[in-house]
Amino acid sequence: MAAEYEPQVFLFLSQILKKKMIDVKGRLLGQILDVVVPLGEPYPPVSGILVKPDRRRAPVIMPWRNLVEVNGCFVVDTGEADTSWEGGTEAEEIWLKESLLDKQIVDTNGAKVRRVNDLQFLMARGGLYLIHVDVGFRGLMRRVGLEEVTDYFLKGLFEYDLPDQFISWQFVQPLFSPDLLRLNVAESRLAQLHPADIADIIEELDIRQRTAVFQSLDVETAAETLEETDPKIQVTLIENMDVEQASDIIEEMSLSDAADLLADLPRGKAEDILEAMEQDFAEDVKELLAHPEETAGGLMTTAYLSFMPQTTVMEALQVVHREAEDLDFVYYLYVVDEEEHLLGLLSLRELLVALPETCLSDLMFRRVVTVELDEDKDSIASDFAKYGIMAIPVVDDQMRLQGVIMFKDLLEVVAPRLGK
Amino acid sequence: MHGDGFLVSIRDRFHAFPSKRFWKSLGVLLAFVGPGIITSNVDNDAGGITTYSLAGAHYGLSLLWLLIPITVALIIIQEMGARMGVVSGKGLSDLIRERFGARITFYLMIVLFLTNLGNTVAEFAGLAASMEIFGLSKYLSVTFGAAFVWWLVVKGSYKSVEKVFLTACVFYFSYIISGFTANPDWGEIGRATVTPSLRFDAGYLTMAVGIVGTTIAPWMQFYLQSSVVDKGLQVEDYPYTRLDVVVGSVMVNVVAFFIIMLCAITLYQAGIRVETAKDAALALKPMAGTYCSGLFAFGLLNASLFAASILPLSTAYTICEAFGWESSLNRKFLEAPQFYGLYSIMIILGAGIILLPNVPLIPIMYYTQVVNGLLLPVILIFILLLVNDRKIMGEHTNGTVMNLLSWLTVAVLIVLSMATVLAAVL
Repeated sequence: MAAEYEPQVFLFLSQILKKKMIDVKGRLLGQILDVVVPLGEPYPPVSGILVKPDRRRAPVIMPWRNLVEVNGCFVVDTGEADTSWEGGTEAEEIWLKESLLDKQIVDTNGAKVRRVNDLQFLMARGGLYLIHVDVGFRGLMRRVGLEEVTDYFLKGLFEYDLPDQFISWQFVQPLFSPDLLRLNVAESRLAQLHPADIADIIEELDIRQRTAVFQSLDVETAAETLEETDPKIQVTLIENMDVEQASDIIEEMSLSDAADLLADLPRGKAEDILEAMEQDFAEDVKELLAHPEETAGGLMTTAYLSFMPQTTVMEALQVVHREAEDLDFVYYLYVVDEEEHLLGLLSLRELLVALPETCLSDLMFRRVVTVELDEDKDSIASDFAKYGIMAIPVVDDQMRLQGVIMFKDLLEVVAPRLGK
Repeated sequence: MHGDGFLVSIRDRFHAFPSKRFWKSLGVLLAFVGPGIITSNVDNDAGGITTYSLAGAHYGLSLLWLLIPITVALIIIQEMGARMGVVSGKGLSDLIRERFGARITFYLMIVLFLTNLGNTVAEFAGLAASMEIFGLSKYLSVTFGAAFVWWLVVKGSYKSVEKVFLTACVFYFSYIISGFTANPDWGEIGRATVTPSLRFDAGYLTMAVGIVGTTIAPWMQFYLQSSVVDKGLQVEDYPYTRLDVVVGSVMVNVVAFFIIMLCAITLYQAGIRVETAKDAALALKPMAGTYCSGLFAFGLLNASLFAASILPLSTAYTICEAFGWESSLNRKFLEAPQFYGLYSIMIILGAGIILLPNVPLIPIMYYTQVVNGLLLPVILIFILLLVNDRKIMGEHTNGTVMNLLSWLTVAVLIVLSMATVLAAVL
């Protein structure tokens, strides 16, 4: 069967709105106010058109199937409005002008918050499919009504063709409705993003959108996102959540980040959250909270690996295998005696290449660089730079191991503006 | 009850830190003031100080009473802006774009850009004038001033910049001090402040309209709302923000009061005509002493520099927000070209125009006033429509009384700004 030739036509929303709608006999039905598309399809087709007959009468919805012609003006075969339009929930359909035009969206491909200047449709197979969101200057000028003037001006003066800036609808996450975000958790396009990118996006949104986006994330992503977010915003996000949810998310964070966050929260809220947490995690966090934030004690985590000197490589590997997921730091293994005195350390690499029966005491490196609990951030930073290590153990005045400072956590304190 | 819980949390934060964290705790408390006070004080910019000086010098104490209704109007207008910022979490240009569409926003932003550019020129002119009192050439002072403004904003973070700005607010006290050094007769001044007097001559009315126009400007609505949003203030914090706005609005008028009063009891009584704030400062020297004159000039310097720092920044933020361009001081130039481009153009043109020989300053000021006057009604009406939109404000829309008051205020302001436009054009 020969493929039927069908012209493909692109249309912009700005070229549809305010256009007249007539029936086949040429009678004026009204002016187009808005169009609606169902959600859930990769490129959703327009399913209905909102038409305002005149000033006195309320707008009516025309179903797309009544439409017979789109070129130039919009013609329907019958002037019958669809009074039975049920109007799906916000999670099922979206009114494009009302909810998208001029609003903010997330471009999940470029990991940016953008503002919608226009929407582009493809006319094919009798349907009008939403394919692109226009975020470019050209789209803006089209809306203002100066697209041709701008083109003429730029071409004439600078030999410059203003390019279109489109985002494929597949990469667009609308932000208009908190409900939409919540109901769509499974297919939320935000989940495709790296938590650090989600954190950047969250920082750019207003308070309501922030909370909605954050609460649409699953617990694990939420925890990772929270770790990457500005401390002030962390606090507002957690303060807007109920205690149960908040404690679930904070438990998934690394110990030291969790402690920093809880220290920034108002005391009442922090205590409630600690109460709702798992016992061991809460204990560990409380321990860290006792130290001032910018000293070694405040920077360290207590979720690291430590072993007795007589442990064999085989035994140690089993422990690593079992516990690595819940620990903040696994690349160094610390060797301590019964009273937690630090004896030495070895790296994960050394453990992996060693013979299974060897004792850790035979492998460990004894001259360990340590810092004391009240050491300040600058001297810790110079230790990191001098010795080129990934983490520094923190000891008390008796050389008992108290915790470990990871380079990542130090970096956040000495160079807070990097990577934000 | 929100307020109570909030106080408890503030107290807890104080307890959470040992004494060496005292400054940090104070910072937490101060975290809720700032936007209102800063915005209001920027309002007392070079143009404002000039207008107040001339009002005092030409019409004595007879315009003082006007400051009371102005304070009320300022509080009403600014309160709505701050409330919108707290409740919606969005800036004013953001809301205007979402509610009124691309076309209106586009033209509005062009007009805003022009009027803010005119205002920036005025600030640099004020800077040049104040330094000339101290004997410094304008080529030096304006170049350094522009470089300082650039450096402060591009190299500083929002927090450090805000601290500098709050400190600048303190220097407005130089006007209050200089007011006291002139030994005023408080009884007479008090009477003049509470007795409205109206004279129907054109000069007097123009001056009255000028005082209103310079105190309530379009750009400050954008700036205030954005800084409220930037601080991440929440609805629970709103009582503090409102206090901040009220304190700021009163403060700006107290400063205005002292300037008018000082010029009235010295220059007006001696019958000296002055045409600029610089003239006023120089004329004060033989009558009120070197200190008084110096303080007056220093106040002008502070005000000009302060406003010159904020206007370009606020403009760039506002426009980028409306069009969805990257706007953040934490981005590099190439990541936010529109933002840095707008900011640079404002400073380069603002300072550059002053450095041109024979620059027609007076016409520039006039047309800025005209554009200001045309823009203000539009912005005020938009604010009223937005603040009463339930979709945006939820339960925080204006009440009946507030609506009555605000529409009345806006109506009066619209009449006055139209009068400014007519006066400048005719």
